Amino acid sequence: MAGCIRNLAATVFGAALTASVMAGAARAEETIKVGILHSLSGTMAISETTLKDVMLMLIEEQNKKGGVLGKKLEAVVVDPASDWPLFAEKARELIEKDKVAAVFGCWTSVSRKSVLPVFEELNGLLFYPVQYEGEESQRNVFYTGAAPNQQAIPAVDYLMNDEGVERWVLAGTDYVYPRTTNKILEAYLKSKGVAEEDIMINYTPFGHSDWQTIVADISKFGSAGKKTAVVSTINGDANVPFYKELGNQGIKAEDIPVVAFSVGEEELAGLDTAPLVGHLAAWNYFQSVDTPENEEFIAGWKGFIGDEKRVTNDPMEAHYIGFNMWVKAVEKAGTTDPDAVIDSIVGVSVPNLSGGYSTMMPNHHITKPVLIGEIQEDGQFETVWETPGLVVGDEWSDYLEDSKSLIADWRAPMSCGNFNTATGKCGGKGVN
Amino acid sequence: MISRYLFENGLSPRILALVAVILAAAIILPALNLALPESHPLHVPTYMISLIGKYLTYALLALSLDLVWGFCGILSLGHGAFFALGGYAMGMYLMRQIGPRGVYGNPLLPDFMVFLNWKELPWYWSGFDQFWFAALMIVAVPGALAFVFGWFAFRSRVTGVYLSIITQAMTFALMLAFFRNDMGFGGNNGLTDFKDILGFDIQADTTRAGLLAASAVALALGVIVTARITGSSFGKLLIAVRDAESRTRFLGYRPEMVKLFAFTTSAVMAGVAGALYVPQVGIINPGEFAPANSIEVVVWTAIGGRGTIIGPIVGALLVNAGKSWFTGALPELWLFALGGLFVLVTLFLPKGIVGTLQEIAASASERRKARKADAEAVDGEQASPVGAE
Amino acid sequence: MRLFGKIAVALLVVFSALAPALAADDSLRDIVSGFADARNFSQTEKIVTQLGKTGDPAVVPLLEALGEGDLRVRKEDRAVFIAKGKGTVTLLDPLTREAVGSATERELTKIKVNNSLRRSIRDTVGGLALMAAAPEKRKAAASTLFANPDPAALDAIETAMAAEKDPAVAESMAAARAAAIVYSDRPDIEKSAAIEIIAGIGSRDALALLSSLEARSQGELKEQAAAAIARANRTLAFWEMGQNVWYGISLGSVLLLAAIGLAITFGVMGVINMAHGEMVMIGAYVTFVVQELIRTSAPGLFDWSLAIALPLAFLTAGAAGFAIERGVIRFLYGRPLETLLATWGISLILQQAVRTIFGPTNREVGTPSWMSGAFEIGQITITWNRLSIVIFALAVFFILLWALNRTSFGLQMRAVTQNRRMAASMGIRTPMVDAMTFALGSGIAGIAGVALSQIDNVSPNLGQGYIIDSFMVVVFGGVGNLWGTLVGALTLGIANKFLEPYAGAVLGKILVLVFIILFIQKRPRGLFALKGRAVEA
Repeated sequence: MAGCIRNLAATVFGAALTASVMAGAARAEETIKVGILHSLSGTMAISETTLKDVMLMLIEEQNKKGGVLGKKLEAVVVDPASDWPLFAEKARELIEKDKVAAVFGCWTSVSRKSVLPVFEELNGLLFYPVQYEGEESQRNVFYTGAAPNQQAIPAVDYLMNDEGVERWVLAGTDYVYPRTTNKILEAYLKSKGVAEEDIMINYTPFGHSDWQTIVADISKFGSAGKKTAVVSTINGDANVPFYKELGNQGIKAEDIPVVAFSVGEEELAGLDTAPLVGHLAAWNYFQSVDTPENEEFIAGWKGFIGDEKRVTNDPMEAHYIGFNMWVKAVEKAGTTDPDAVIDSIVGVSVPNLSGGYSTMMPNHHITKPVLIGEIQEDGQFETVWETPGLVVGDEWSDYLEDSKSLIADWRAPMSCGNFNTATGKCGGKGVN
Repeated sequence: MISRYLFENGLSPRILALVAVILAAAIILPALNLALPESHPLHVPTYMISLIGKYLTYALLALSLDLVWGFCGILSLGHGAFFALGGYAMGMYLMRQIGPRGVYGNPLLPDFMVFLNWKELPWYWSGFDQFWFAALMIVAVPGALAFVFGWFAFRSRVTGVYLSIITQAMTFALMLAFFRNDMGFGGNNGLTDFKDILGFDIQADTTRAGLLAASAVALALGVIVTARITGSSFGKLLIAVRDAESRTRFLGYRPEMVKLFAFTTSAVMAGVAGALYVPQVGIINPGEFAPANSIEVVVWTAIGGRGTIIGPIVGALLVNAGKSWFTGALPELWLFALGGLFVLVTLFLPKGIVGTLQEIAASASERRKARKADAEAVDGEQASPVGAE
Repeated sequence: MRLFGKIAVALLVVFSALAPALAADDSLRDIVSGFADARNFSQTEKIVTQLGKTGDPAVVPLLEALGEGDLRVRKEDRAVFIAKGKGTVTLLDPLTREAVGSATERELTKIKVNNSLRRSIRDTVGGLALMAAAPEKRKAAASTLFANPDPAALDAIETAMAAEKDPAVAESMAAARAAAIVYSDRPDIEKSAAIEIIAGIGSRDALALLSSLEARSQGELKEQAAAAIARANRTLAFWEMGQNVWYGISLGSVLLLAAIGLAITFGVMGVINMAHGEMVMIGAYVTFVVQELIRTSAPGLFDWSLAIALPLAFLTAGAAGFAIERGVIRFLYGRPLETLLATWGISLILQQAVRTIFGPTNREVGTPSWMSGAFEIGQITITWNRLSIVIFALAVFFILLWALNRTSFGLQMRAVTQNRRMAASMGIRTPMVDAMTFALGSGIAGIAGVALSQIDNVSPNLGQGYIIDSFMVVVFGGVGNLWGTLVGALTLGIANKFLEPYAGAVLGKILVLVFIILFIQKRPRGLFALKGRAVEA
């Protein structure tokens, strides 16, 4: 436990140091400021703190390489405390008061929705690193996480083709990401000929901890003589008790596999994964991916955080990609001016950690490979399937009635996030 | 005319000074923001304007809680619910104002309904395109909830912690309900992406300044209402109920009616605060119902000083300013600072900041009076009974 | 001559036994070496089926190793070995399981398996194990085959049945045979008999078999299957009721554990203790620390980790409670509502402290082997960890009840809460009793944390999830009455679980909250109200 005490001391000391250094450095030389808007307290701290740390690491490494445009980068960390209106307030503070060149942040959809108007109004840049429900494309936001077609649909395809699944449980936490993803999946499954009664949809509240009934329901649904799988969009905290209950009730991956879109290495770190071997997750990155870039990234991360046991996960990779894209776009534009960066970043390609290149598309989403992994006993995933090439993030789903005919392209002359190909008009923004 | 009305009805100079300060802020801050160029040292950035506007609505919320807790002894751990309901009423109006400018361009349905495949507007959303209706609902919904809740609770003589806990249950249940997407209030994401209010662009500096001014005026009105209620003979009754409910009942009063009135009035004030809060922060979501938020309001009130009118306002402003500053300056440590502050204030300033200051001032003036009395006694060679109380 | 003959016979026997074995061994090795060249899952699967067809029980451990991901290929010579563990590992021969050398992890590639592969391994192993020597293994194999019927295994099952002596195993095999028949193309008469056997079992798996048969058959058989389904459904509905009660009791016991410490600090002492949840959290983190220490220094003790953590969690949380009472709360007696503010501040500080020390992410608390798994009573599945928690919660409750009613400390505690001045005049050191009472309540919250670490996240937010529920339970049951807390917790737990299937998890919880609000109107002091003058004070 000496390490813990040291951690505490280091944090206290570090914070004091950062404060004083920041004050001093601001005078000493001109820097480019980068805002980090991740919750460090409250319910989301569990996931978001890691992303703050990874950003600090990336900035430190960039500074070692000489910074950007000959200037050092300076991180401005704030704590929006898992409080959604506070996200908007802090975003405003970062852009207006601290004059940051770009902001890396947000996790939940609601926090992103909360800050959107602020970025739009003050013309800031936001890099959003988490898989989300799509149905959005905003000029000032770059979505480096997966859109539903980069995660959910390939996963379902895999289960259908490789595991012969015919009956589906779509279980999620009751908020917009699972709702939308399940809507898309439902439409997709029906288009593949799955009958209505072979789909069960279940929503639970945030932080749901008593899964006995639902897990029993799932096993009941699964005993109809057809191969059944669970597609889980259960959010963060609720996953640990869910998987513990699955393990306890003896639902094995061979019988009813669970494929999750919000469970990564970090979530598994809090679990004994031995009973969960074979359950699946769909992401664009796994720590177990065997490439030199990834090895270097993992080594860098473990060294930075000073803990051999810490793991890496998909949103961290998304920040890695997003940050490098921003750096490249700034260098290409020769300035950090948001308008110039927005123009120059489209088409920028940077290496991702799974051995390919990710490119920023005109819809402000990026190209990524899709990996399906099975949980292993050591808490890692083993890739069992991956898309042959890269998948372009599709912001407006083709499987939803109202978004079918919408597209986004932020290049001139269209410059529109929701262009309606049916009417030939740019909806929303185009009207006023 | 107005000032005469106020004076004659017994508003103390202290309250009037407070009202004057708030109203001055309503005029001066927007003026400093709009009239001065950005380079001017006295320029107030827009960022500060919405921040202060938000604080003022918090202050009104704290004041509303003070009316029931500080003056009437009902500790509500669910005041956030009234605040959020007022906020939702305003949010629904703002959503309807977006009209066809949503991402899907649907003229009637808000975006979140479109992508949940809703085909028509639920009945409870109708009418909210009219501001007057929304304004009515802002006061009517929290008021009605408080009235019904209070009617049952106070008549059943639910008191003390039992009442506190069921108010908490109420806000918790509402939070869970509003989290449900099937309720038609946008689920966890709540209502957001507002465009304009009463025809003014919600992102314009002038609108922000106007909203700040409106919040300040609402707060000033809240202060006057609270002062009028507590200053009247009814206010004495409130305090009587707070200090000795049974005795008040035995004297022939009906404490449940007194409480019901205070509770409903307070809920309406909280609702108005919520309605002003929403356009300034740009989002309303079920998180506002979280029991922790309601507890925080109690904390502001306690830190400022309950049972005083200035106290909750000072508390709300101080704690929130502290929070804004700490979360930026000490992102890793701010909870230690905030938590420590709560503990220290409870231990060392049991009456809150304002309450303690008043006590010091009172004892100082008492000492002065006593000295004066002593001097008089020497002069007039007789003992004075002043200060006996 | 005789001797000679004997030797010759013996030799013959040995040879005849050995020769095919050797030959089989060679051909097995050939098949096994194919694993090294399999490029995808379906190729690996082909080899597994091939191995299964040999009918040789020797491949069972090999297949099991493959299923667990322990079958690896040495990169330099493409030889296949069983190898467990990390770093430098011992290589075992895949068939004889003898150690034949060692290699580092980097020199080996693991043969990948996925779910469908694991399934086919399980089925293959199931078929092979039917002839195993141990009856429990045969029975397990039969149950596997029942749950995962395979018409191809029908012959194997029938052979095994013919040789089976143990009646219990034979019964399982008959069930497995019936299940396989459902999927086979045997005549309808056999299927009809199979329906009766399966219907007699009446479990979920049986229902699945019957529904599948109903969907694929016509005429009389379909009707018979439908009737059997209806029968099975009736039994299951009955059991479901029981299952719900069990879930309710289990949820209730979690609520009881979370609330029981609060019943002391809040119920008995009147402190609105918002830091209660953090005491639970402390207990959970103590469990984590204990397990970490055990993992690094004495892995053998892991099954005892919870038992070791219990007293430590009690002491740690109790000490924290003692410090809080001495440092803060004792200045606030007589101002109960203000304890809310101070303890709220303390809870923020404790949360952030844990976040700083242990990091914001979830920490892994393992489950001891005796708490893993489940058993069945009829059609009710009871998991060991839930059962342990129920028993543990009740034990804590009764020990506490005993401590309050039968020990001198309990007596002093009740004396102080009932009439402080009188108690003081009788020579009781009331401040000490206050501190010890608060420490007791906190300590109990701490041991609740040990139990909750088994079913929930161990994160800084752990306590926040329970604090509101705990207050609801204590208030619903009646402040100041332990029995009220017990009845309250179980009532709310069962009510919640009965509402959940109809209303869904969210609405169910809302309804329970509304019910509490309404109930308090009816009984403003909870279920078990304290009577007498003290309540008005």
